Formats: sequence, structure tokens, C-alpha cells
Amino acid sequence: MPMSAPQGNTEKSSHIKFLIWGIVVAAIVAVFLPAPLFASNLSFLFYMMLWITMATSFNFVAGLAGYMPFGYVAFYGIGAYATGVLYKTFGLPIPVALAGAALAGVTIGLLVAPTLRLKGVYFGIVSLALAMAMKLVISLMPSDITGGSLGLILSAANDPVAAYYAMFVVLMGALAAGTWLTMSRLGTALRAIRDDSEAAEVVGVNVVGTRLKAWIMATMFPALVGGVEAWYTNAIDLDSSFNLLVTAKSIVYAMAGGLGFLVGPIIGASTLYGIDQLIWRHFPTLNLLILGVVIIALMLLLPRGIVGAFAQRFSRFRRFIP
Amino acid sequence: MNELLLQGLVNGIVVGLIYALIGVSLNVIFGVLRVVNFAHGEFIVLGAYGAYFAQAWLGLSPLLAMPLIFIVFGMMGYGLYFVLVKRLARSNDPEHASLLVMFGLSLVLGALMLLAFEADARSLNFTLDPPFLMFGNIILPTTKLLGLAVAVVVTGALAFFLYRTLPGKALRAIIMNRDAIQIVGVDLNHLSALTFGLGLGLAGITGILVSMIFPSFSPFIGQDYTLIGFIVIVLGGLGHPIGAVAGGILFGLAEQTAMVFFSGTVAMLLGFVLLIAVILIRPAGLFGVQNSR
Repeated sequence: MPMSAPQGNTEKSSHIKFLIWGIVVAAIVAVFLPAPLFASNLSFLFYMMLWITMATSFNFVAGLAGYMPFGYVAFYGIGAYATGVLYKTFGLPIPVALAGAALAGVTIGLLVAPTLRLKGVYFGIVSLALAMAMKLVISLMPSDITGGSLGLILSAANDPVAAYYAMFVVLMGALAAGTWLTMSRLGTALRAIRDDSEAAEVVGVNVVGTRLKAWIMATMFPALVGGVEAWYTNAIDLDSSFNLLVTAKSIVYAMAGGLGFLVGPIIGASTLYGIDQLIWRHFPTLNLLILGVVIIALMLLLPRGIVGAFAQRFSRFRRFIP
Repeated sequence: MNELLLQGLVNGIVVGLIYALIGVSLNVIFGVLRVVNFAHGEFIVLGAYGAYFAQAWLGLSPLLAMPLIFIVFGMMGYGLYFVLVKRLARSNDPEHASLLVMFGLSLVLGALMLLAFEADARSLNFTLDPPFLMFGNIILPTTKLLGLAVAVVVTGALAFFLYRTLPGKALRAIIMNRDAIQIVGVDLNHLSALTFGLGLGLAGITGILVSMIFPSFSPFIGQDYTLIGFIVIVLGGLGHPIGAVAGGILFGLAEQTAMVFFSGTVAMLLGFVLLIAVILIRPAGLFGVQNSR
């Protein structure tokens, strides 16, 4: 526990922590920013950014606030549909449609915010039910708005490189939000609430407001990701936009890296997505099987993830890990 | 009264009892182990395949396959408890850990069934003579009646087990107070493993009933049954085995009536809305009395 660190060192260690985080972010920028100039496989890098963003933002609620939203995919799906409907049905330009997607995600997030008072399995089940309900609601909407069972095709907006950079901007936004949520006073408050919400309330932490900030961030980014992905692939349909595997992968990638650490989801998503791609290409059905096995193995053998296990093994470095 | 509505209500009771069984077995597992079995639907589908292959390979009728599948699934559950569930108790956050492990298990089972049985929907070749009975203008297929009878018998046997036998009483005692039961000398591990076995055995039987009553099954539909199970146990009260019977029948009636007037999509949506409303307004469930939060 970082509490055991001597008082005088706390400031120094947080400087080092910040420095390490700066280096990680710089490395991400260095890899992804110039990539379209060199890389032949843009899609691989695009989806790598997508999963880093999804896992990072999942970490805001699961790692920092202690909730397990199994319906996380709902925000992704809402973002995709909001972008598609605003662009195709209402004829708005893509940037406006994406802003609309973020707004839609946050609005739905705020509407379901009362569920945050539920704990443990209750929250997980309700979150899942909400995602399913959302999918059914969209399927019941008139098909001249949402495209019905055929979905929406956005081929007129086709511009993979622009969509790639849009995803890059979203990723940077998610990393910035992560910095804000962990390294400010807000981060201290969030950790206090996650560990003991009643005690935090007693010492004067605004429990509801603090959770809500993390929740809003965690609903906005998947909505943006869903929107940008829809732009990148030019296609939206119900089954892929509300596929529970999106939740599953976000959970696995974030957990494999280590929930509660900023670098956890980045390490988890880049490693596992890389492996996933190597396997996926050859055996599509096995992908699902392996995903499930990885979840079980992680929970039983490495419940704190790669970074968490490292922090536990070398506990004196723990306070330097962002 | 409208005949369609009456037919819907009759279907609602048949389907509702199947849903009740799904909920009862989920609740037995949750009540005793505090594990939400995300993979329950996959075990149900596996039970349906069990009935299919028992008929295709061994020539067993679904009714005769029932005890066999109950025993096989029960042993599987007993073993799985020691492999998966027992270790979770040591984790920092057992509830979330169990949700995730069972979620992983549901992906694994779904994928394995897809690999083994392929994606096409199958149906059981099972008819009785006469194929259906008419009550006025209400049609009741005899297979559904038989399914209904089996569901009633199984639920009754389970209630007898839980309320009238010593192991059943011990099991309910764990639900009420986990710490106290160890003081009076109950082997918690053994009983927990038996409970997981009982839950999966019931899931297997439910799968057979599903294969008899619903037109078809495929590796993909497990998740749907898990979600139905969640709705049912939330309506009846989480961890409350007999409450799930009421929850199941209520949801079956609501769903089938909504299907008569609207569509399957609306019926499912109604289920989720019910679930969310009940959790937010009355988290102990409509029929729950104990504090299960």
C-alpha cells in the first residue's frame, strides 16, 4: 500500500510516476501518429487504438470506481447509431455527428446513473439488462431512421485515414481523462470511495459527484469509439454494435493489464490484441473459446493483471507505477 | 374472454414453469455460493443437446434421459466447484470475480458447442399420441402438457428436498447464515460442491424440457436463457429458491401475453424493463422477504 511510503518521498514519487506516464504517452504518440505514412496495415493499428481506448475507459468505472458494467457495449452501440443516424438520416457532417454520439452516450449514461447506487451483482445484471433493452429499443425504431435489420451504410463518408486520426484524437482524450481521474485530487477521492465509500463520505468526500465524473467519462469514450468505428468501417448493424463481445474484450484487456492502473489497460490491450490478431486470422471460432479461457485463467491465476502482479511482487516500485 | 389471450395465458403458464426452473436452479447456486452463474444458459442448451444425443445414439426418450443427464450434470457441477468456484472465495472481490469467471465459462461453453455441434438449429424428434388436446378452442400440445407435469414434479421434489430433508435444510441454512452453519459442524465445501452439482443437474433437466417444448435450440441461444434466468430471479428475489417459481410464472405470463398483442421483441423488452424497475424499486424482489442485498 502506498500509505507506507514516508511522507517526504510522496511528492518525489508522484513526480517520478508522472514522468513515467509522460514517457508512456509519448511512446504511444510516436507509434500511432506517424503510422499512416509508413504502415501498410492501417486496420491493425486502428483497432489497437480502439481497444486501448475501450479498455482505458472501462478502467474508469471498473478499476477506479469499483463497478462492473456488463452492459458497457451499450454506449459503444449508441455512439455508432447516433453517428449513423445523424450523418445519414439528418445529413449532418461527420464531426458534428461524432459530437452528437458523445452527447448521446453521456445523456444515456446520466439517465441510467441512478443504477450506480446498486452494488456488486445487482449493478452488473442491471447494466446488462439495460444494454439488451437498448438494443431492442433501437430495433423497434422505424427503419427509415435506423435502417432496420439491414443497418446503416455510410459509404459516402469513406475516409479511412481521417477516421484513423479521429480515433487517435479519441485515444488521446481518453488518456487525458485518465490522467485527470487518477492524478488529481479526484483520483484520491475515487480510490477512497472504491475502498470504503462510507469512510470516504465521513471524511467529506462527495461520493455521488465523484462517481458521476468517472461514470460520465466512461460513457462518453465508448460512444465516441463506436461512432468513429462506424465511420471507419462505413457500416452499422445491431448485432455488431451491441455485441456482448465488445464488453468481454474491454474487460479482458483492461483486467489482463491490471485494473486501477493507467498503464494496465494499455499494456493489456496492446499485448492481447496483438495475440488475438495472430490467432483470429487463422481460426475464427477458436477466438471466442480462447477469449473465455483467458478470462477464466486471468481470474484464477492473475487476478490483478500483469501490472498489478508486478506491483505486488516489487512493492517498493508500486508508488511509481501510473 | 379473447381466445388468443386465453391461449397466451395457457402458454404463459407452461413457459413460465420452465422459466421458474431456470430461476430456481440459478437461485440455489446464488443463494448458497454467492455466485451468479453467467454460464447457466449454456448448461441448459448443453442439456438440450444431451436429450438430442441420448435419443439419437442410445434411443432414450427425453423422459428416460432425465435422470441420466441429472447425474452427469450433477457430477460435472461437483467437479467444477473445486476447479473454478472454490478458489474464488479467496479473491479480493469474490462477487465480481465469480461474475467474470462464469462469463468466461459461458464463452468457452458456447464456443465448444459451436465447434462440436455446428451452428444449425436442431430440434428433438419427439411427439406423443395424440399430438394435442383441444379444450374448447384452446390448443394444448401434449408434449407441452408433459413438460408442464415434469416441471411441476421437479419443482415439488426440490421443495421437498429443501424443506423436509436434512441436507436441504442445511443448504437453506447456508443461505441464511454462512458463518453459523460451520459452527454446527457442516462440511461447507462438500455441501457447496453438492449445491453447484444440484444447480447444474437442474439446468440439465431444464434443457431437456426446453428441447421438448420450444421448437429448436442452437449453441447461440444460451445467453438468452441466462438473461431470462436473471429476470426471473430478480423478480422473485435473488437467492430465494421458491420465490423464483413465482417470478418465473409471472414473467412467463407477461411475456406470452405481450407476444399475443405485440411481438417477441416487445415481450423481451418488457422483461428487461420489469427487471430494471424491480431492482431499482424493490431490490429484495417482488416476493422476497429476507434482506438479500
